[in-house]
Amino acid sequence: MARFSPGSLPVLVLFFSRIFLVPIALGSADVEEFSEELLLKPLSDRKVLAHFHFESQAPPSNSHGRHHHLFPKAISQLVQKFRVKEMELSFTQGRWNYERWGGFDPLSSMNTKPVGVELWAMFDVPLSEVDASWKNLTHSLSGLFCASINFLESSTSYASPTWGFRPNSDKLRYGSLPCEAVCTENLTPWLKLLPCRDKDGISALMDRPSIYRGFYHSQRLHLFTVDSGQEGLDSGIVLEQTLTVVLRPDSGSSKKQIQPSWTLSSLFGRKIFGSCVLAKSSNVYLQLEGLPVHELKSVDQELETNGLWKNAGFELSIEPDRVLQETNSFLFEFDIGEYNDSKPFDLGLTWKLPLKWSCGQAPLHASRFLMGSGNERGAIAISLKLTETYEKFSGGDLGDGPCTLQANIFQVFPWYIKVYYHTLQVFMDQQQRTVSEVVKNITVSPSTDKTSPGVMEMMLELPCRMKSAALSLEFDKGFLHIDEYPPDANQGFDIPSALISFPNHHARLVFHEETSNSPLLSKLKEKSPVRSYTEILLVPLTTPDFSMPYNVITITCTVFALYFGSLLNVLRRRVGEEERLLKSKGNKQGKLLQLLSRISAKIRGRPVESSSSEASSSVMSSNFLLKVMLVAGIAATWQYFSTYM
Amino acid sequence: MEEISDPPNPTREISEPMSEFDPKTMRTTKPGAKRLLITTSVLVCFLLGFPFLWKSVEIYRSPLPFHDIDSLSGQIESSPLQFPCTFHAIFVGFRSMNPSNLRSAILDGVTQFTHRSSGCGSCNFSLSVTVQDPDDHCTETIVRDPSKCSYRCGVIKGNDFGIGLEDAAVDESLNDIFGGCTGHGGKIYSVVVVNKDLGNGEGEVRAVVGKHRHAWIVGSGLEERYGDMVAKVSEIFVKVFMKGGREESSINGEFMPVGSDGKVVLSFNLLNSNPRDWVYDWDFQRIDETLLSPVIKALEPVANISVESQVLYHTPKSSFASWDEKLRSHIFRMSDLPFFVNSNEWHLDTSVGAGGRSKILQFVVYIPSAGECPLQLQLPNGEMSKTNGFISPMWGGVIVWNPANCDKGSGSPARTSIPPQNLEKIFEVFLGQFRQLFGFKSEATYTSGLGTFEILPSERGFTEWELDVLSRQHTCFNLQSCANTLGSLSRLVQSLPRMIIKDEIGEQVKFSLKAAKMAQSNASLGAYGSSASSSREARSLAEDAFFHPSIMSVSYFSFEHCFAVYSPFFLPVSMHVILAALREWKRYKQEKAKYLTSLTRKKTA
Repeated sequence: MARFSPGSLPVLVLFFSRIFLVPIALGSADVEEFSEELLLKPLSDRKVLAHFHFESQAPPSNSHGRHHHLFPKAISQLVQKFRVKEMELSFTQGRWNYERWGGFDPLSSMNTKPVGVELWAMFDVPLSEVDASWKNLTHSLSGLFCASINFLESSTSYASPTWGFRPNSDKLRYGSLPCEAVCTENLTPWLKLLPCRDKDGISALMDRPSIYRGFYHSQRLHLFTVDSGQEGLDSGIVLEQTLTVVLRPDSGSSKKQIQPSWTLSSLFGRKIFGSCVLAKSSNVYLQLEGLPVHELKSVDQELETNGLWKNAGFELSIEPDRVLQETNSFLFEFDIGEYNDSKPFDLGLTWKLPLKWSCGQAPLHASRFLMGSGNERGAIAISLKLTETYEKFSGGDLGDGPCTLQANIFQVFPWYIKVYYHTLQVFMDQQQRTVSEVVKNITVSPSTDKTSPGVMEMMLELPCRMKSAALSLEFDKGFLHIDEYPPDANQGFDIPSALISFPNHHARLVFHEETSNSPLLSKLKEKSPVRSYTEILLVPLTTPDFSMPYNVITITCTVFALYFGSLLNVLRRRVGEEERLLKSKGNKQGKLLQLLSRISAKIRGRPVESSSSEASSSVMSSNFLLKVMLVAGIAATWQYFSTYM
Repeated sequence: MEEISDPPNPTREISEPMSEFDPKTMRTTKPGAKRLLITTSVLVCFLLGFPFLWKSVEIYRSPLPFHDIDSLSGQIESSPLQFPCTFHAIFVGFRSMNPSNLRSAILDGVTQFTHRSSGCGSCNFSLSVTVQDPDDHCTETIVRDPSKCSYRCGVIKGNDFGIGLEDAAVDESLNDIFGGCTGHGGKIYSVVVVNKDLGNGEGEVRAVVGKHRHAWIVGSGLEERYGDMVAKVSEIFVKVFMKGGREESSINGEFMPVGSDGKVVLSFNLLNSNPRDWVYDWDFQRIDETLLSPVIKALEPVANISVESQVLYHTPKSSFASWDEKLRSHIFRMSDLPFFVNSNEWHLDTSVGAGGRSKILQFVVYIPSAGECPLQLQLPNGEMSKTNGFISPMWGGVIVWNPANCDKGSGSPARTSIPPQNLEKIFEVFLGQFRQLFGFKSEATYTSGLGTFEILPSERGFTEWELDVLSRQHTCFNLQSCANTLGSLSRLVQSLPRMIIKDEIGEQVKFSLKAAKMAQSNASLGAYGSSASSSREARSLAEDAFFHPSIMSVSYFSFEHCFAVYSPFFLPVSMHVILAALREWKRYKQEKAKYLTSLTRKKTA
């Protein structure tokens, strides 16, 4: 790597005689901060959710992108160079199960992401330069995260939503790559942005095999700038890095009713050996959701004295430092600052009673599917079903006025899916309705061939009483140029997920008592609209025979050559002379021809003709036979090569 | 298609019974040329059409000035770039000296020093000598260029150079005297030799090189030691002013750590190898403002420098050190140095700011963990390194800084800052390393066989004459690399005749050549700054042309491909056409011979 010159260790002389360095003041308010947190949550289907949350903050200063102490320099330079106001990048594998893992809590509405890579960014540049900034940003991120984010550079793959994705988003660009495979090469550069990487602190839990064995894996990077409000100072940057994984603990016990018990070391194969020393706060939270506390109370009389963490229903292996009560759940807080190598933190949860609980559900459960057959046209349908919890809820307040449920749909179509927006059909409880009855607002920017994708933003207003609704749109499949097909063209083409958001429903945690200023908790306390992503779809397109152009060239050329050659021969043919020649040559046949004529005579079942009189006819027939054999031979070789090549 | 075996005995066209008429060798009528005409006209059409086809499948290649490129590289190779420099030697307090004799003696000395290597970026010097006797009367050699401001006689007094006078003050006064003398004919370097009784013993001679473009030699009885003095003067001219006091073997221009776009990013990294033991931080911004900005400003003509810094944690070195009981420290031997830098864990990279082809120089302060504190680097001769650091050419430098007492303390470590005195020291070492990366010595003396010269350090890191050397070498190296790149490009383009070359590349090459010409002409005029900038432009344009994306992409439309597409048509057709024409021609000749024989027979008959 490096070459060392022989005089590498020189004796130095002071080049500076008058230097005054004022002692450095650290610890003032304007320093870069870092915090690490982990939220664990048992899910109702015997799985465990682990949500890592790291937050780095850079205060407003003039030296962004140049001098940093904790904040990653690369990110700061990115923000500085491309004038990024807000940006979110996510790498996801697996699909979030909205029914069983929750759809109405801040965790799911903020951290669930569609499969593959999703990137959106807002820029602080004039409108005309937004596209250029986006393109440069995708290239930089692609290099930074070892992913093919640079495919989002082409104008066919990103969209500029107006209101359906986020409100007031005129300088926002959105793109997603549904087929991007996510693996550890994307995680390593992401970890590099943390001051302790995965060497120390909570991130040391990230054992690659255990993380990637999970059912869902979403690695997210969200950053936004905070205006300093002062003249001459750059705005500060907040960088949130989250990793959400859903794991299944190995349940050794045979009792199927009881939720599996787990410890951190059984989930991840590692323990936490103390906090990252650079973190301002490092906490682990355990959230138990929807537990019927009063039932537990009745079972265990000692609950009040022994705390909530050790009772008849379940038991924690470590006493929590604090217990936070939320409307629907408990949060046990553990400060891991006091643990060290000799005393590692290995939280365990043991279930004693078979407990069942349900998670919060989004008002509607959305799924999307394809209809139709063939490679020419098809239809795309989005079906929305009212979830059980909401059914009960909406049934309660039937009294006051017409109850409506608002849902926004944001969908990007690649240009080769040519959607006919006039074919939009709306069904409600299996009955067709007029579009204007349900769709309150629709913004469509149709796709342009090979230049831009189609974007559909739709605001639906559904009556609460309906059970299900469905939307369908017809489309034609476009033809791609032969160069535009990916190497695995026969696999099909992905349509990115649609985003269904419910602007009138907000998910948040409401605590009964004051919480510490932990970034994760304050994030969870924020009001965030409920959102859910649909599945991605795979559309098969007509794929050409990729060797076709060459075949066409070869066959036309051969036909032309045959035609040309025969024409030329006809032009210079001397018919009379040939006939005379044949007559004079009648007696002098080649041995081969004689043999052939003999064979042909055998086949025909006639005795060998005397050669003198009927020589010409026999020559003609053997000539004919030769030609037939030649053609047959060519056909056979052609068949052989066309099947084996 | 049809099988007409060429008849060895052609048939008769006319079967008239004729006496002694052999139809096999004779014919009476003239052979017809209709078919021959048809076949030859088709062949000719094909042959004529071929250039059109060739033209139509030709790929676009912008014409490159191959000849100019060759001449540029030839020129640079045969005659290295030389800048005009003016040397001025002033002898003060000498009685019986002839300036023209002195001049020829110094010239001899200078050529003796330079004859071995008239390297790239050296001086094309002119020398003038002034002798001033103690009564302030001057004799001078003829000044060729009257526009140059000449030395006003009697301004330098012998008393100005004495014991107890600050060298810096002397340097400033000399600069005042020669101030404003940076004419258009290159830079003027002067050496003042003062013959003066210093009063502290015989024979002591002091030679000092200032931080501007002046040097002085003070001593007593110099008149007697004439040869020694002349040798010294010529050595200062050559070794110091012309070559910047570098060793011949040290880093030369090719290893100038400047990116091809003329940019350098200095990336300073503070590595806490184990933050669980202690966490150190620095206030880099203040250092940047106080220490680094003057250096950066001084180097502006050579490179456009930007500074970045970061603090990294959990960055152990990749090799182990051994504990030495006697020295009470961990020893890292120099032979292990290649394994010091841990490229797995030290993620020093990631500079979006250094886009393109700028050069990044990494400077690393390594703080060892408590387990390996104090960490010392050992020289091969067994001594401890005084700076506790090393450089790696073209990469940067590393300094090991041990916290005082290696006291870990108890409890969780708090972030402390490196004490200012230590930080100051670290940055002095850094600047020394930076100078070394540019090929300069970090010592304040220059020693040769003739004695020792003191060199006054500049608070800007680089003295003026050093910057002159740098900018001369930088220009020369840029031109060399520009010529190299263009030469490789022209070789590449000529070796791949079916490669697409866009107009853009042609234009870049043209502009690069133009800038190179400009740099050469500026250099011969002695305009250091403008020649450096246009040489930089020439180099970056040449690199742009060479690394143009259209060259990098698969733009190679191969001959095999062309052949595969056109052969299914042209191969069978050309066979037909050529064979038909040949046969007709052969037949026509035969028939004509027959006709001629029949004619002769007729005549004889």
